[in-house]
Amino acid sequence: MKLRNSGYGMVLSVPGLAILLLWVLIPFSYVFYISFLRYDNILPVIPTGLANYREVLKDPSLPIILIRTFIFSFGSTGLTLLTSVILAVCLNRIVRGSAFFRSLVVMPWAVPLILSGFLWAWMFHPSFGPISDLLMKVKLISEPLNIYKKPSMAMAGVIIADAWRRIPFLTIITLAGFQSIPPNLYEAAKVDGADSFHTFRHVSLPLASRPMLIGTLITLMFSFRSIDVIYSMTPGGGYAKSTYVLGAYLFDYMYEFLNFGLAASASVILIILTFAIGAFFIYYTLKKG
Amino acid sequence: MRRALVKIVDHRATPYVVLGVITLFMISPFIWMGLSAFKTHSETFRYPPTYFPENFTLDTMYEAWYKAPIPTYLKNSLIMCLVSTFIIVVAGTFTGYALSQYQYKGSNMVLGLFLFTRTIPPLALLLPYYLVLMKLRLLNTRLAVVFYLIYLSYPLVVWLLKGFFDQFPRALIDSAIVDGCSRTGAIFRIVIPVAATGVYAIAVVAFMWAWNEFFAPFLFIHYDELKPITVGLYYFVGDEYTYYNRMCAAGIYAVIPSLLFFLLAQKYIVRGLTSGALKY
Repeated sequence: MKLRNSGYGMVLSVPGLAILLLWVLIPFSYVFYISFLRYDNILPVIPTGLANYREVLKDPSLPIILIRTFIFSFGSTGLTLLTSVILAVCLNRIVRGSAFFRSLVVMPWAVPLILSGFLWAWMFHPSFGPISDLLMKVKLISEPLNIYKKPSMAMAGVIIADAWRRIPFLTIITLAGFQSIPPNLYEAAKVDGADSFHTFRHVSLPLASRPMLIGTLITLMFSFRSIDVIYSMTPGGGYAKSTYVLGAYLFDYMYEFLNFGLAASASVILIILTFAIGAFFIYYTLKKG
Repeated sequence: MRRALVKIVDHRATPYVVLGVITLFMISPFIWMGLSAFKTHSETFRYPPTYFPENFTLDTMYEAWYKAPIPTYLKNSLIMCLVSTFIIVVAGTFTGYALSQYQYKGSNMVLGLFLFTRTIPPLALLLPYYLVLMKLRLLNTRLAVVFYLIYLSYPLVVWLLKGFFDQFPRALIDSAIVDGCSRTGAIFRIVIPVAATGVYAIAVVAFMWAWNEFFAPFLFIHYDELKPITVGLYYFVGDEYTYYNRMCAAGIYAVIPSLLFFLLAQKYIVRGLTSGALKY
């Protein structure tokens, strides 16, 4: 007996679907289940309904943690987007040395985020790092710059370390967007008297907007949910908890306080908030161009 | 004013100047890591800091390799990443191919499910994974991390592969079938050989995701001889001070494998990401 094509497709995707079910959907449902349990590794595990959520949502530090999470993820994504667009515009304009610069610029892509945190932590070190020293040499500051003792600067530091690792991806995506624009459009704009700013605003940006938008949403989702850089650069959330974000909060409940019920409910909150960004990502990805 | 700006922006040298500045920013951590790996421990704690190593020494690279279990960490990373990437890519190839070429009722929903899965924060699934692996008595094994790594990049890989196979010339498959090749035979004889470079590029992306992963092995593994390199970097973080020079040496060892894979596949990755991931 020969299967019809559609049946064949189903058979072919069975192993893949099994992985999706076992590896993703089961743990995904399990975390929701744990979030309704009292699971603190002290008392017996029993169902508690919404008690975990109530406790997390009533936590007086939650609002500031959420604000920091937004500052971190939007700050990192904003810096990434700005740098990537500038890089892509420049790389798109040059011919000689283009491959050379592109290879150098994408190198951070291969660096684990955790290492990025360590490297930048040391670069920003007030006594032994080069950044403070160089700023003093050019007389921009008069005494060593200690970003770890100023909440806003610590946040800026982790944002730089995070964005540094994310710029390559968005640069490549944006560059590909620019390169897919037919050159005759630029010529037509030039004939109509448009200068570089006009063409960038009215030709390059709108025509490359779709990949840029999706790439930016991916970057935003990633920096919203990952804490590697924060964990290695400012352990424990840093001075005055200035870089303590939702992911770090979740991780502390799981790893430091071993309260799995609360950690699970914080996980669910992280899932929901990430999905608020992810919904746009799904929408624009599925929207036919 | 505006005309003056346009003149500056349009100048032939402008992109090179801007690129030079930003490239310096992008490679500065590499430079600092490269320089520090050849300094002595005391020189890394000097104020003001030195830039070029005063006493250029290979001892640091040597010590990091021989006194810390760096070779073991690297071996573990390689095993975990290669095994998980292999499983993901094999399973993902068939799924992606089916979703692209043999659509069935509900296949679009499956595709949407994969897309949705990409929005789940891996951090939020660490806890259920930890508990399940504990019940399966798999904690403190490399297999535990392999399990998690499969979850980590599987949805992305299927999605990229589906987009990649969308561009595969259907006529090539059809003509093979007309010539008497079975559908499955066509996959092995036609599709995989022709698509090899694209699949390879996507495999490199999955490999790099796996190489980058820190928290899962950090939670699942407590024995030094089983840790991957990302967790192994903590070997140099002490209670009193961090051995920055050795960590930089270890960082170089950690970056080299994924950088090599990446630079070799760069051309295909760029093509794969831009055609598969974004052009639906």
